[in-house]
Amino acid sequence: MPYNVSRRLVLKTGAAAALLASTILSGPASAAPVTIRVALKDFLSTDPTAVAYVAQVEKAMAKRGHDIHIELVDLPSSGYADALGIMLLSRDIPDLIYFQGGDEKFASQGVLEDWRPYIEKTKYLKNALYPHNKARLDNYPYLLYVHPLRAWQPVVREDWLKKAGAKPPETTKAFAALLRTLHEHDFDNDGTKNTWGITAAGSLEELDGFLNPAFGIDATWLKDEEGAWVNSQISDEERDKLKYYHQLFKDGLLDPEYITLNWQTKEDKFYTGRAGVVSASNAENVVTYETKMRALHPDVSLTVLDPPLGPKGQGLAAVDVSKESRGWALSALSEHKQEVVALLDFMASPEGQFMERLGVPGIHYKKEGDQIKPLAALGSWESPFLVASNYDPPIELLPASAEKYIDNTQRYFLADNKFSYPPEYAAALDAATNVYNAFAYELVSGKANFDQWDDYVAQWKSSGGSQLTEYAKQVLK
Amino acid sequence: MSTISEHKKISQYGNVPNLVQDGLVERWVRSAKRWWPFYLMLAPGIIYFFVYHYMPIWEARIAFEQLRIIPPNVWVGLQHFAALASSPIFLQVLLNTVIISVMKLVFVFPVPIIVALLLNEVRTPGYRKIVQSVIYLPHYLSWVVIGGITIAVLSPTDGAVNDIISWMGFQPVPFMTDAGSIRWVVVFSEMWRSAGWDSLLYFAAIIGINPELYEAAEIDGAGRWQKIRHVTIPSIAPTIATLFILNVGLFFSTGLDQILNLTNPVIRSQIDIVDTYVYRIGLQTGQFELATAAGLLKGFVGMVLIVAAHLASKRLTGKGIW
Repeated sequence: MPYNVSRRLVLKTGAAAALLASTILSGPASAAPVTIRVALKDFLSTDPTAVAYVAQVEKAMAKRGHDIHIELVDLPSSGYADALGIMLLSRDIPDLIYFQGGDEKFASQGVLEDWRPYIEKTKYLKNALYPHNKARLDNYPYLLYVHPLRAWQPVVREDWLKKAGAKPPETTKAFAALLRTLHEHDFDNDGTKNTWGITAAGSLEELDGFLNPAFGIDATWLKDEEGAWVNSQISDEERDKLKYYHQLFKDGLLDPEYITLNWQTKEDKFYTGRAGVVSASNAENVVTYETKMRALHPDVSLTVLDPPLGPKGQGLAAVDVSKESRGWALSALSEHKQEVVALLDFMASPEGQFMERLGVPGIHYKKEGDQIKPLAALGSWESPFLVASNYDPPIELLPASAEKYIDNTQRYFLADNKFSYPPEYAAALDAATNVYNAFAYELVSGKANFDQWDDYVAQWKSSGGSQLTEYAKQVLK
Repeated sequence: MSTISEHKKISQYGNVPNLVQDGLVERWVRSAKRWWPFYLMLAPGIIYFFVYHYMPIWEARIAFEQLRIIPPNVWVGLQHFAALASSPIFLQVLLNTVIISVMKLVFVFPVPIIVALLLNEVRTPGYRKIVQSVIYLPHYLSWVVIGGITIAVLSPTDGAVNDIISWMGFQPVPFMTDAGSIRWVVVFSEMWRSAGWDSLLYFAAIIGINPELYEAAEIDGAGRWQKIRHVTIPSIAPTIATLFILNVGLFFSTGLDQILNLTNPVIRSQIDIVDTYVYRIGLQTGQFELATAAGLLKGFVGMVLIVAAHLASKRLTGKGIW
């Protein structure tokens, strides 16, 4: 009897213990959030704003049934791409990775997931893409960067444009005339006529951005008279464009020190009145120019100029659609791919986009009744994940100049035929590009003359250009 | 006295094998017991060098492999070295590295020695301290700052140097875009940054010279110049030889940061060195194997140079680094 009692007791106790154990073990396990590791530049766990933003995203995701914890991977802002590459090579691979170049090596080894099947199944993300996103995903499906197009466009102070008495220039001649007026007048009233018409940071790529089509350069690879593929760097169209630049340089309209400037020194020249026109690379860039300009000159607004019409056309430089140059990658080794996609899908939804555009309540904006009041910090807020093409924010977030910038990128969108080279072409590409950069400056500055063009073409070809052209023939057919 | 007593103490272990009794191990154990606080203080340094300088040597094998994120790596032999050598501009890059390194050895290396000799001649301690502080200062500036200062000072339109050149009636010189000038810009900016700081070692060596040598020289009627020539310079010759040999070992490391901050597309072909080339082709494109191959090549050449310089120095001056 004692034995039976004791056995029953043991059985009951055992059953109760098993039930308790299963409750303890299964309860918390099902409630534990899924941790998604995210590597993003300038978005660190040490930044209180980033932490607050992540907390509100996690909360909103939980409401939708996705209990996730976003773990920010801290990488240095300076040298981000290098640090990220080294981290990945040490096999520490976050679930969601923001690349700023150097992604191809990882894609080629199967470490990055093809986005397309995942996007196809989303509710919001698939409709948030821009046309250039779709083209780039078709060519290279491992990076996703849902933001308006980036393209160089000229920006000028609105008050100076009025003082110049000029309408926004419509042709390359009128553009040069505007630069001349800016150069020959003392619009900043500092007592000296020390304003260059236009400047750039380190190369003429910024001018190419809105002048290439004017001279017939509407792709990286053009066809010559015999129908053969020729790189635009050695084309007749390029020579004509460089002649135009040379004339600007000779007339003192193009800053002679552009080649040694960096981004900060270029901006400084613009804000301090030593340069009349600079180029902006994206809409946020226009906002930054305007904010900084107003810090120095409170009443000044900026105007984005249309690309001028030239002898062979008008538009913005053709857009590379071979792949995204930066953007999000999904780790193929991630155990939480569906949750990562759910996160991006949420960020593309109206609720997610509200957060992406307006930031954190109390930091970037505040609500007064139904009204949304932007706070000062909103000026420096950038959407961390994506800017959906189909979402209109509840308040005006961009100045007119930035809106025009975005309109122009859509209006003048032209797909380039540029393609990615295999790694073994890196040295040839580097060498040929160096030859072009050096000779272009020598021509523009007058150190070399245009009679030397054929010598330059021969040097470009022997420095790796011929190898690139042969490969282009295979790719472009 | 203590050594003898310790020896006796250890000799009591009559049945201990000879290796322990009289060999290296015995001496090491004895030494460790006696000097353990010093070994303890040395430990962080040893651990640092082991972890950051010796363990990575094993990882340098990726120079011979194709790196796979998902293991295993694939052995490719000398493929990356061949890729480096076959580059259309690698020879030019090597040549630039050699030219800039030689220029720095010839023109930059002697300057800290001269600075230290001059500092030693300053008789007012307060003034000497001020001079030392001022000339050490550039060492603490990053190349980003120095690059910005250099470009601004040498600007052909409003730079101080060209203002002086124009004031003297000459045409401004575009130093930063002139193929003939840019290597000198590299050499002089390096000199400005490092001369003061590098003089510290020589100055310390000078301070350590026995004052009786100077007194004896004075009694013999030696003037300032003769004291420098016959006392100071010979006394710091071992320091000069050691630093020269170490500098030769760094022959192929001519300054990635410096070149990156001074370069532009026009003069890149003149100052593109192995480090900048590898940074562009290797690191920026994620070809870490190629970058490692170049690093290994640099390390090998550096080691050969340092051994050669050591042997040459031994033969010529009787002094080396070992």
